[in-house]
Amino acid sequence: MSAEATARELIYLYCVTKKAPRLKYVEKLADKISFVYYQGLYAVVSKVKESEFSAENLRKNLADLEWVKKQAGIHEKIIEGIMKDACVVPFKFGTIFDNEHNLKGCLAENGKEFNDNLDRLRGREEWGVKIYFDAGKLRDFISGESEEILRIDKEIGSSPPGKGYFLKKKKEELLKKELNRKINECGQESFDRLAGKGLDARINKLLPREVTEREDDMILNSAFLIDKNKVKDFKSEVDAIKGQFKEMGLCLDCTGPWPPYNFCKISKEKAKNG
Amino acid sequence: MDDVIAKSKEVTLLEILDRVLNKGVIISGDIVISVADVDLIYLGLKVLLSSVETMERLRGAPIYSPYQEPS
Repeated sequence: MSAEATARELIYLYCVTKKAPRLKYVEKLADKISFVYYQGLYAVVSKVKESEFSAENLRKNLADLEWVKKQAGIHEKIIEGIMKDACVVPFKFGTIFDNEHNLKGCLAENGKEFNDNLDRLRGREEWGVKIYFDAGKLRDFISGESEEILRIDKEIGSSPPGKGYFLKKKKEELLKKELNRKINECGQESFDRLAGKGLDARINKLLPREVTEREDDMILNSAFLIDKNKVKDFKSEVDAIKGQFKEMGLCLDCTGPWPPYNFCKISKEKAKNG
Repeated sequence: MDDVIAKSKEVTLLEILDRVLNKGVIISGDIVISVADVDLIYLGLKVLLSSVETMERLRGAPIYSPYQEPS
């Protein structure tokens, strides 16, 4: 690759706003952060090197977890900085344009939808709730709560070894069934209660332990769109559920406010055919 | 109340990755990471397919959301 090609720059798009973005919180986070104005919309962008972000190089870098972690952090921090005093439409990691002309073309084509989203999201915040469960603790809780299991336990105590073995197997099966029921019930209950406090809600894919690096398993990965004036109310509900779930070994993680990653609606046809 | 809500500065990397890689508006930029590319990241994290399957079995019926988008 020639030196000239290596030095070529691309445009990385972070978010779009309707209000002139204040760059003072973010200008040190990446190279040449600026905004591109087009018909009432401001696109917050930075220059990135083709040697890092061309389609081919980006794909290579995505396999490098340390690189991804660093870049994802920058992406998030820049959007959060802009969000401090403007409503934003946040883009997915790695949305890149060859030149300003193409970026403006995108703003022209999607302008109405960006504007609609920004109008709809004004005064609202995205909050995330993930619930994890500790299998051991939940088993203990169910064992102490289920009358049927308590009855089998009693029977095991007074049975000969042969019968005891089958009773134990029966108890195991029952426990598993109850565990599954409880997990679904609790996940559903929290989602419904929290969705009731918001304007919109989403359930996302569960992440396995290898990704979460936790000892317990995720049973709910959800996001809520909350009116800024109702955040206190939402948090009280989070606390109430958290308190209620604690003895069952269920742990609730609430984070926010986030850029509205889950609540921007851009018609899929358009995104695909662009 | 604050002790139960993670402050944004203490938010783990997981929370950030889960959003900026999986969510956010997808438009037809000149270069956009595809879903398959993002899967590489999970491979990088040594996710074993079997563990995902186990979770799905354990979970049983999915939680119902009237708002859920088909994945």
